Amino acid sequence: MKPALIHAELVGLPIPAQPAEVPRLSVTPRRVVLCVLLSTGGMMQARESASVAKMWTYVVDSQALEARVMLDDLEGVDARTRELALVVIALAKTPMSDGDCQRLDGQLAQLAEGSDEIAARAHYLRARIYQIQLATPDYARAEELYRSLARRWPQSHWTQLGMVKLGLVKLYALKTPADPRARLAEVAKLLEQVTEPTLRRDLAMQMGWAANFYELPIDEYLPYLIAADRVGGMLGITPDDLMIQIGELSFRAGHLEQSRAYFERFLAEVVPGGRTYNVQQRLLEVIAKIEEGGPP
Amino acid sequence: MSKGKARRIGLVIFVASYLSAVYWVFTKSTPLIDERKITVRLAHWQIEKGPPEGIDAVIARYEELNPEVRVQQVKVPGQVYRQWMRANFAGNNAPDIVEYGAWLDGLADLPVRYFDPLTKDLLKPNPYNEGTTLEGLPWLNTFVDELQEQRVNSPEPGQYYAVTLTQISLRLFCNVNLLRKITGSPEPPVDFDEMRGLFAKVADYSRRQQESVVPFGGSRDNANWMMVFYMGGIANGVTQKLDTTGILGLYARETQWKYLRGDWSYQMPAIKAGLSLLGELSDQMQPGYMGFLRDEAVRQFLRGEALFLFAGTWEATSLRQLADFPVEVWRCPQPSVNDPVVGKQMIGHYADGSSVTSFGLYLNKRSPNRAAAVDFLRYLTSYEGNKIFMEKSGWLPSIKDVPVAPEIASFLSPDDGYAFGGVNINFGGGTRAVFERNFYLMVGPEGSVDKFAAALDRDMPEAARGALAVEGRAARWAVLPQDSRVVALEVLMATDPGNPALALRRERLEAAQNLSESRALLIARQLEMIDAGKIR
Repeated sequence: MKPALIHAELVGLPIPAQPAEVPRLSVTPRRVVLCVLLSTGGMMQARESASVAKMWTYVVDSQALEARVMLDDLEGVDARTRELALVVIALAKTPMSDGDCQRLDGQLAQLAEGSDEIAARAHYLRARIYQIQLATPDYARAEELYRSLARRWPQSHWTQLGMVKLGLVKLYALKTPADPRARLAEVAKLLEQVTEPTLRRDLAMQMGWAANFYELPIDEYLPYLIAADRVGGMLGITPDDLMIQIGELSFRAGHLEQSRAYFERFLAEVVPGGRTYNVQQRLLEVIAKIEEGGPP
Repeated sequence: MSKGKARRIGLVIFVASYLSAVYWVFTKSTPLIDERKITVRLAHWQIEKGPPEGIDAVIARYEELNPEVRVQQVKVPGQVYRQWMRANFAGNNAPDIVEYGAWLDGLADLPVRYFDPLTKDLLKPNPYNEGTTLEGLPWLNTFVDELQEQRVNSPEPGQYYAVTLTQISLRLFCNVNLLRKITGSPEPPVDFDEMRGLFAKVADYSRRQQESVVPFGGSRDNANWMMVFYMGGIANGVTQKLDTTGILGLYARETQWKYLRGDWSYQMPAIKAGLSLLGELSDQMQPGYMGFLRDEAVRQFLRGEALFLFAGTWEATSLRQLADFPVEVWRCPQPSVNDPVVGKQMIGHYADGSSVTSFGLYLNKRSPNRAAAVDFLRYLTSYEGNKIFMEKSGWLPSIKDVPVAPEIASFLSPDDGYAFGGVNINFGGGTRAVFERNFYLMVGPEGSVDKFAAALDRDMPEAARGALAVEGRAARWAVLPQDSRVVALEVLMATDPGNPALALRRERLEAAQNLSESRALLIARQLEMIDAGKIR
C-alpha cells in the first residue's frame, strides 16, 4: 500500500480506490518528517478532544472537582469553550452565594453576546441563575431572559426547555394572576410554543397537577394528564401514579369506561406492589357502576 | 559443656527452627502471594443472624466459579453505619459494593456523588441465570418487583442504582409453648377482638403462675412498628378520603400539607378511635418499655416473659436460632369491621407487607473492580445465588421463581390489603418525636385519649411544617446542580450527534429536573400559604 494510504488507514479515514496508474512518490527525508508530524498531530488532536469529552462526562456524572482538575490540565481548548466550562462547573457546586451568582451572570452575559451554540447555552443558564440559583429568585428577570432567548434562537432546544421552566414558575411561584384559570391559560400559551414531545409532556402533566392543586373541576384538566400519558417515557413512579390518577379522576368525573381502561392497564402493565389491592378494589366498584348503567 | 558442643546444639536448634518456620509459612499460613487477582468488598449493616451466613455461602460458591476473584464481606453495625459510609466515601476508601437505603437520614447526597447506576447492566440478561426459567430475561425483570423501590426513590428518576436481596413483611412472632400453657391451644386469634381475649388470658396466667408474662416484648422500636402498623390500617379510610390527587395513596409531603391545611387532625373520631386501640396495645407491654431499644424486646421474648414479639421478618432467623422454644410466625390479627373500638373506621383488611424488595446493594462509582463487582452482584441475585442466600439466611428471596422454603413461607404477604399510607402517628420529619414525647398523656395515671390528641394537635403543626420544608429544600437542592449536567450532556451530544444514549439521558435528566422543580415550587407555595396564616 502507498504511504499516503497507510496514513489514511492509520487515522481512520476511508481509503480511496486506487487509480490504475498511481504516480510514484519518492521518499525524501522532508516527506517522512511531514508524515510523522501529521500523524502525531492527528493523534494529539484526537486525544485532546477525548479529554474534553471526558471533562464534560465528569460534569454529567456530578464530579465537578474532577472536571475542574481536568479542565485546568487541558491545553488547546478554545477560550469560549473553556469559559463556558468554568461557569458550568461552578454551577454544579451548589448552593451558591448571590455574589457568586452575580459573578457567573457577568461571565455568561459576555458569552451570550455571541451567536453560536455556546451563546444560546449561556443565555439559558443566565435565566436559570435568576430563576433558581439566587437566594431570592428574580422571576421577572428570568422571564425577560427566556423571552429574549426565544427571540434570538427560536428553534433552539434551550428555548423549548425555557418555556417549560417559565411555565412551572407561572403555575406556582408568581402571585398573579390570582385566578387559577387565568394562570393556567397563560401557561397554555407557553405550551403552544413547545413542540418537543417530551417537554410538552412534562409541561402538560404539571398543568394537570397544578389544576388539581387549585381544585379546578376534573374535566378542565384531565385532558392534560391524558395527553402526558400518551407521550409516555416517564420516569420512576410517575407513570404508575399517572395511570392510577387518570383512572381514579375519570371515575370521579363519571367517565367509567375510561376509568376501567386505565385501571385495567395498570394491573396489566405494572408488577404487583403496594397499591395493587387499592386499584383492584376500585376497579370492582367501577365495573359495578358500569353494570348498573350509570355514573357514580 | 564445652563451648563447641554448645555452639553445635545452638546451630541445630537454629536450623530446626528455621526449617519449621519455612514449613509453616509454605503449608499452614495464608499464602504469601494471593492467588486471586481481584478482591471485591461488600459492606452492609444486616449483622443479625442470617444474612452474614447467607452472603458467606454465596461468596463461597462464587469463588469456586471465579478462581481469580475474592469477595470480602464487611459487616458494619447499624448504629455507626451512616458515619462509616460518610467517612469512607469521603476518604475514597469505601468498598466496591455497599448497602444503602433512601430513608437513611443525612445521606441523600451520597447516591449521585458516589454510586454508579446499574441501569445498563440491568437491561441485559443475567448470564448466571442460564439454564433456569429466567434465562434470557433482562436482569431487571428477574426481580419479583422489578426493583420498584428504585423507581420510587432513585436519586435520578429513570436510573436504577441498586439491586435487592430480599422481601420484608411485618409479623407477629409467637412463643407457641407459652401459648399452649396459657390457652391450651396453639391456634392464633382470628382478629383483634380475639386478641383482646388473649390479653386477658395472659394477665390471668401471669397472676395465677406468679410469673411476669406480658403479651408483647416491648421497646420503643417494637412499639413504634406495631402502632404505626395498626394506626395505618385504622386510618386507611381517612387517608382514602384525603386523596384528592387520585393516586389511591398519599405521600408524606401530601399528608403533611393536608394536616397543615386542617383537612385532618387527631380530633377526628376515626383517629381518636385508633389512638384508643394504641392505648390498649401499650397496656400489653412491660411498663417503661419506651426506654428500651429492640434488643431488650427480643431478650424478653427469648426469656419467655413475652408471648409475642411484633417485628419485621428481619428478626426471624435470630429468634429461631436463639430461642429454646418453637417460634411461630403469624400474620397480625387485624380489627374487623365489627370491632367494638375501631370497627366503624375500618374499610377492610390492610397490607402487612408487599412484594417490594429491599436490602439494596449499590455500586461504588470509584470501584477499581467495577466489572468484577457487577459480576458478583449478578451471581448474588441470580436464581442459584439468591436461592443459596435464602437457604442459609432464612430471609425471603428477591428473585422470581426461587422456591420459598416452607419454614419462611409465612413471611410472604399476598396483595390482599389496602395500603393508602398517609395519616398515622408519625408522618415524616420530627412527627415521631412529638408522638413519643406526648404518649404519656394517654397511658399515664391521669391519661386520656382526649388529652393526648389535644397535645398532638398542639405540637404537630410545627413538626409537620418542618418536615414539609425539608422536603421542599431537598427538591430544590436536587434541581440546582442539574443545569450543569443538562448543558454538559448537550455539549457531548453536539460532539457525538449519533449517540442515542446521550439524547435519552438528557431527556431523562430534564424530565427528572422538571419533576423536582415543580415539587419544590409547589411546596414553596404551600409554605407561603401556611405562613400567611391562610391555613393552620
